[in-house]
Amino acid sequence: MSTQTRASLQVDLAPHNPRELILRNPVIPASGCFGYGQEYSHVIDVQRLGAFCSKGITSQPRAGNPMPRITETPAGMLNAIGLQNPGIDAFIKKYPPIWEHWDVPAIVNFSADTVEEFAEMARKLDDVPGVAALEVNISCPNIHAGGFCFGWDARMSADVSRAVREATTLPVIIKLSPGAVDIAEIAAAVAEQGVDAISLINTLVGMSIDPVTRRSRIANTTGGLSGPAVKPVAVRQVYQVAQAVDIPIIGLGGIFGLNDALEFFMAGATAIEMGTVCFSHPVAPIQLIDDLQTWLDAQGCASIMDIVGVANPQFRAGKDS
Amino acid sequence: MAAVLGKASAPVREWTGEITANRTIMGDSYLVTFTMPEGLAQHIEPGHFVNVLPSGAGSFDPLLRRPYSIYGIDAAANTMTLLIRPYGRGGQWIVDQQPGQSLNVLGILGNHYEVAPRSSHLLMVAGGVGAAPLKMLSEQAVAQGKSVVYLLGARREDQLLDASELPHAVEYIVATEDGSAGHKGFVTELAANYLTWADQIFTCGPTPMMAALRNVILQHRFGKGPQVQISVERTMACGVGACLGCVVETKKGMKASCVDGPVFDMESVVWG
Ligand SMILES: Cc1cc2nc3c(=O)[nH]c(=O)nc-3n(C[C@H](O)[C@H](O)[C@H](O)COP(=O)(O)OP(=O)(O)OC[C@H]3O[C@@H](n4cnc5c(N)ncnc54)[C@H](O)[C@@H]3O)c2cc1C
Ligand SMILES: Cc1cc2nc3c(=O)[nH]c(=O)nc-3n(C[C@H](O)[C@H](O)[C@H](O)COP(=O)(O)O)c2cc1C
Ligand code: FES
Repeated sequence: MSTQTRASLQVDLAPHNPRELILRNPVIPASGCFGYGQEYSHVIDVQRLGAFCSKGITSQPRAGNPMPRITETPAGMLNAIGLQNPGIDAFIKKYPPIWEHWDVPAIVNFSADTVEEFAEMARKLDDVPGVAALEVNISCPNIHAGGFCFGWDARMSADVSRAVREATTLPVIIKLSPGAVDIAEIAAAVAEQGVDAISLINTLVGMSIDPVTRRSRIANTTGGLSGPAVKPVAVRQVYQVAQAVDIPIIGLGGIFGLNDALEFFMAGATAIEMGTVCFSHPVAPIQLIDDLQTWLDAQGCASIMDIVGVANPQFRAGKDS
Repeated sequence: MAAVLGKASAPVREWTGEITANRTIMGDSYLVTFTMPEGLAQHIEPGHFVNVLPSGAGSFDPLLRRPYSIYGIDAAANTMTLLIRPYGRGGQWIVDQQPGQSLNVLGILGNHYEVAPRSSHLLMVAGGVGAAPLKMLSEQAVAQGKSVVYLLGARREDQLLDASELPHAVEYIVATEDGSAGHKGFVTELAANYLTWADQIFTCGPTPMMAALRNVILQHRFGKGPQVQISVERTMACGVGACLGCVVETKKGMKASCVDGPVFDMESVVWG
């Protein structure tokens, strides 16, 4: 009989922040794919997750885009939900009071139209009980820059990161947009602002046309591509970012099971998020926690950290802690 | 009369069901029967649906589950039957599975039709495979001693539901677009004859059919008229209210049709 102790799945996503973001495992359902946590709480044991990211909120309520909002694509899907949400004030009243009684940390995802609005929202969330960390979605248009996406410009990404950092002491995760020309440059500019972690990727802008109707299959014309189809792009970008920053990285994009997740860890991610898979396989995040444990034990690893960045010779992320 | 319909409340499980039967019906559709976990049957009501994975284990394509209404259940055998018309690769993959093979199913999803205790005359208006949830509803209503008129519209005779699928007590009347059986034309044209008789109307079918039914009802309506419950069809991803891909615009704002529906009061919906 082996007396070997089991590998530790614990990860620290905010090593320099006194408010801490230590997860008991590195598996996190992604924003927009897990509602506000409650939707899946009668389907899976939500409390076993490392954490979860809630649906993106904005300062004002939004009705979202017209239908159809989603369409299937080869090994993926396009979505243009349009950030339908009740607005930050109604959100704060409704969900964090529930999460306060949960074991699993809730990470609040949000976006805004201006740098000031990002800061304002972070300030409002700073001391709300039940909120463990913030994930800042910068894949949205800056209305003061002609609608150019914040996340595609290093200076604008840095401005948002600095403003949010100054507005809150909560652990702050900046979620990068894969549409940026030089993702490593953006990541470096963001990390310089003292944020705690970086997550990537958000969806890639895509389109699908129905030959019968001769129109886009999505009312909004374009949508965000997600699912297994985007995984190679995501792994490449995590790999590049892990060479450019020394803060923890949360990798996502098309993760369905163990082997997908291992690619991200080996590229340099300390934790992973799972989005689209939740629709096809709600049990996948829980299954992955078990599969990671079994795999790490079989490999004789002491910790998940043993494999983080092993495929990346210039890996820096998380190495300073 | 305008009862407020409930939200999804049945337990939700992801399970692997073994197919016990698969046969063709309505010309180009299939009745697929498979096992379900213990303890679910007693929660299933007419109008509920399940999301079926349209590809085998380890495959990512097609990716998203396909929603299908529950056509019937056999509580003794612990099986569920779906009526499936394949439109594309996902539906085709599901109906290609044979007895002994398995399906990955997520359910029980959605809210359900609600028959008011004092309603005794129920009118069902079905278009195509919209026949499915109304078949289960008819069975339940007849068992409770209610009178049911079941109207079904299809393109041709061979796409109609065989009368033997419905309880004997149901008055089954059909319409075909080509006139090969029953009334020649649309099923909604038949509905006008029963509007004063019906205490409640239940419908499921393509959106244009339900819009046409609404026009018929609005034209003939006097007084408050019967309450009409519709089951809407939207592209879905999660089926549990998490993605907001399936919304319906209602007078009370955007509602997720997978948890606040698929059954809505006809007049609660904003018609375009
Ligand atoms: C709550 C709910 C209950 C449903 N119940 C049933 C049911 O009991 N039986 C049943 O057969 N279907 C039912 N549907 C519809 C069913 O979900 C779709 O037909 C199915 O998802 C299509 O998958 P597919 O792979 O066959 O076609 P896809 O590959 O998704 O589509 C192929 C092509 O067919 C078109 N198409 C897809 N579905 C339809 C449709 N329903 N009508 C017309 N064109 C379509 C698409 O736009 C596309 O161009 C229900 C839908 C909902 C939301
Ligand atoms: C329906 C849907 C809604 C989404 N909503 C958000 C959102 O509100 N905020 C956000 O930052 N990302 C959102 N995303 C992006 C996901 O969180 C994730 O970054 C992306 O889907 C890639 O991961 P995946 O391939 O595992 O889904 C959404 C994705 C989908 C499919
Ligand atoms: S299908 Fe996801 S919210 Fe309805």
